[in-house]
Amino acid sequence: MSHLRIPAISLLLISLLLGACVSTEAPAATTQAPAATAAATAEQVTVVKIGSPLPLTGSLAATGVASRDAELFAADIINGDYPDLNLPLAAGEGLPNLGGAKLEIVFGDHQMDPEKGASETERLITEEHIVAVVGAYASAVSATSSQVTERYGIPFVNGQSTSTALHTRGFKWYFRTTPHDGMFSEAIFKFLQDMRDTKGADITTVATIFENTQYGSGSSRSQNDLAAQYGFEVVANIPYPSGTADMTAEVQSLKAANPDVVLPSSYVADAILMVRTFEQLDFQPQAIVAQGVGFTEASFLETVGAQGDYILSREVFAADLAEKKPIIKTVSDMFQERYGHKMEGATARSFTAVLVLADAINRAGSTDPEAIRQALLATDIPGDQLIMPWPGVKFDPATGQNIAGSGIVVQAQEGQYHTVWPFDLATRDVVWPFPAWGDR
Amino acid sequence: MADTTLTEGAAGAPARKPFPLAGVAVPLLALALLAYPFVFRLPFQHNLMILVFLYASLGQAWNILGGYAGQSSLGHAAFFGVGAYASSLLLVKFGIVPWVGMLAGGLVAVALSLLIGYPSFRLKGHYFVIATIVLAEIIYILFTNWPFAGGAEGLFLPLLPEGVVNFEFHSSKIPYYYIIFAILAVVTTVVFFVERSKLGFYFRAIREDPDAARSLGIDITRYKLIAMALSAFFTGVCGTFYAQFVLFIEPNNSLNFMLSVLIMLIPVFGGSGTLWGPILGAFILIPLSEFTRVYLSGAGRAIDLTLYGLLIMLVAIFEPRGLWAVVTRFRSRETLKWRFWKSQV
Repeated sequence: MSHLRIPAISLLLISLLLGACVSTEAPAATTQAPAATAAATAEQVTVVKIGSPLPLTGSLAATGVASRDAELFAADIINGDYPDLNLPLAAGEGLPNLGGAKLEIVFGDHQMDPEKGASETERLITEEHIVAVVGAYASAVSATSSQVTERYGIPFVNGQSTSTALHTRGFKWYFRTTPHDGMFSEAIFKFLQDMRDTKGADITTVATIFENTQYGSGSSRSQNDLAAQYGFEVVANIPYPSGTADMTAEVQSLKAANPDVVLPSSYVADAILMVRTFEQLDFQPQAIVAQGVGFTEASFLETVGAQGDYILSREVFAADLAEKKPIIKTVSDMFQERYGHKMEGATARSFTAVLVLADAINRAGSTDPEAIRQALLATDIPGDQLIMPWPGVKFDPATGQNIAGSGIVVQAQEGQYHTVWPFDLATRDVVWPFPAWGDR
Repeated sequence: MADTTLTEGAAGAPARKPFPLAGVAVPLLALALLAYPFVFRLPFQHNLMILVFLYASLGQAWNILGGYAGQSSLGHAAFFGVGAYASSLLLVKFGIVPWVGMLAGGLVAVALSLLIGYPSFRLKGHYFVIATIVLAEIIYILFTNWPFAGGAEGLFLPLLPEGVVNFEFHSSKIPYYYIIFAILAVVTTVVFFVERSKLGFYFRAIREDPDAARSLGIDITRYKLIAMALSAFFTGVCGTFYAQFVLFIEPNNSLNFMLSVLIMLIPVFGGSGTLWGPILGAFILIPLSEFTRVYLSGAGRAIDLTLYGLLIMLVAIFEPRGLWAVVTRFRSRETLKWRFWKSQV
């Protein structure tokens, strides 16, 4: 019987693990708000169904559920009458060009598995008869789901996936509202260019320091390309192994190269160690502009405290954008009140994708996929009708990418990140150059 | 604890049972499955059975090593992923048709299994399990950081005109259905013959008592390696099938630790070391997971995982030999009598 003991013990352990997953998800599940789209059928109006594959269970269930609620909230705004909100289709009920038809979102759970994402999308198309797809959060799942929509000729409006590989496949039915990773990196260089050209910052050289796997090395590579394009000289590229215990050697080589601006791409533990080593070795560039990730995780500023002040990072979304764009505050407060989640990067982008798609369906005046696709190609939503810090939504006809999307740059001031770029959305003035470590 | 003997291991063999399993039930079941895609026409229904067959094949492949030879592996995702990557890289980088890639994928998996099998078979029990987990993690990390293989972003397989040669079917899933059904039939036939051959007896002898087996002149390492190679080959072949079916592979979907767990879970749940156990396991666990995911988890509640966990616990508590043991218990009064008699002795 001994050969059975190992599998049996493993099984027990696994079931305990599964049990643990379940219990951690329970609070997320209970936050579910009353479904708002059900009322439609009673009045015998036509219903327009769209599908949304999301990670509703599994490791990313919390994010998936929050995204689902953001999409339901967007459907609420479309289906209900909100004359005070300057958002597409907020005023008046339903989709006016389809006789006030209500928008219904049918959700599918893909558990972050690309195969399940594809089969869920196919099921939604063939069994639920959806006319378009939003979702699917993870880039890998959006990749396979969009293969299915491409095959069936159904428009896919991708709100959150940022992998650059997605829009370069020559697909006809794929549209993406969120900026991709390359555009987010570009935000850093546009910011540096603006600092140099309009604020008189004397920036000529930059250096990258990055963790040496996929994310970090990819980020450094694209920064090198962009630096050349924007006219900055790269004086050093310094890789380090993620999870390293000591960064003295790396920071000393950085110091020797003496760049005006340091561009780190790091996970949170390395980011903390890096900032501490900078201070120890009194390394003093004009600015540190991070590629998000470790530097923007909540635990980073909590751990480094005042040491983290004046660090800059690119971001997708920030709560304080509401100060300059009142619509963000109104929508965030409504969302928080009804669904109990904060409006943040993932939820704000899910919400936006549904509005963009609904706007196209309405302009198409039809549920015919080709008509919707044509309407998506003609999409031109100005930035003031969005809760995103983007100049607008306008798709490149060749790739389906929203070319009017953009990232923002935030700076830590008094222990919190504040938007400092684009300048018209900034809530604080950027502090430049970086104050000396000793003067704080 | 030592109530499992060679004779009981053989008791799972269908030929000795009163119900004519091999003569009537198997051909009927096979016919029903061949007709299935024309009775149930929705893509979801096709997809469901493709997954059942895929995981049944994987479970059956695992069964050779883990069930018959008694070497539990929690690293089979490595063979699966290597098979998927081998054929995909050959297709994407060199334009070689996936059928050749499938053979190559199986052989690369065999090579990998021998490479790691030789040193790790010195380890027994839990230590061997740990070694397989570590191996699979190493392969996962390697592929995540290997730009040629697409790194963490994965590989998109080109969308080619559909057809048997290209191993891609876009308008219908039915060809995939029959291909994976054939793979399952082949691997099950192989297990059927292994079970009855000298090889099968050696495997079981090694499982029950390696020292006794060695003293009887069985070259333990050699036969463990044979079991591992057979197991890895079919796992690699399934990997290629998966890559062609999904047309996108990344370390997270083809080399993931949870995949290794599932590959082991299916035969252990259904009955490891038996011919029908892995198939039974896949026919219960995969539909359960798919139906609950589709019809219950839309609310974001993890009911599917709860049910899954509950079933696993029940089997682990009441019949650690798996569901097939429950079936055989009810199928044969003789077995019952025998067990009763045995418990009295």
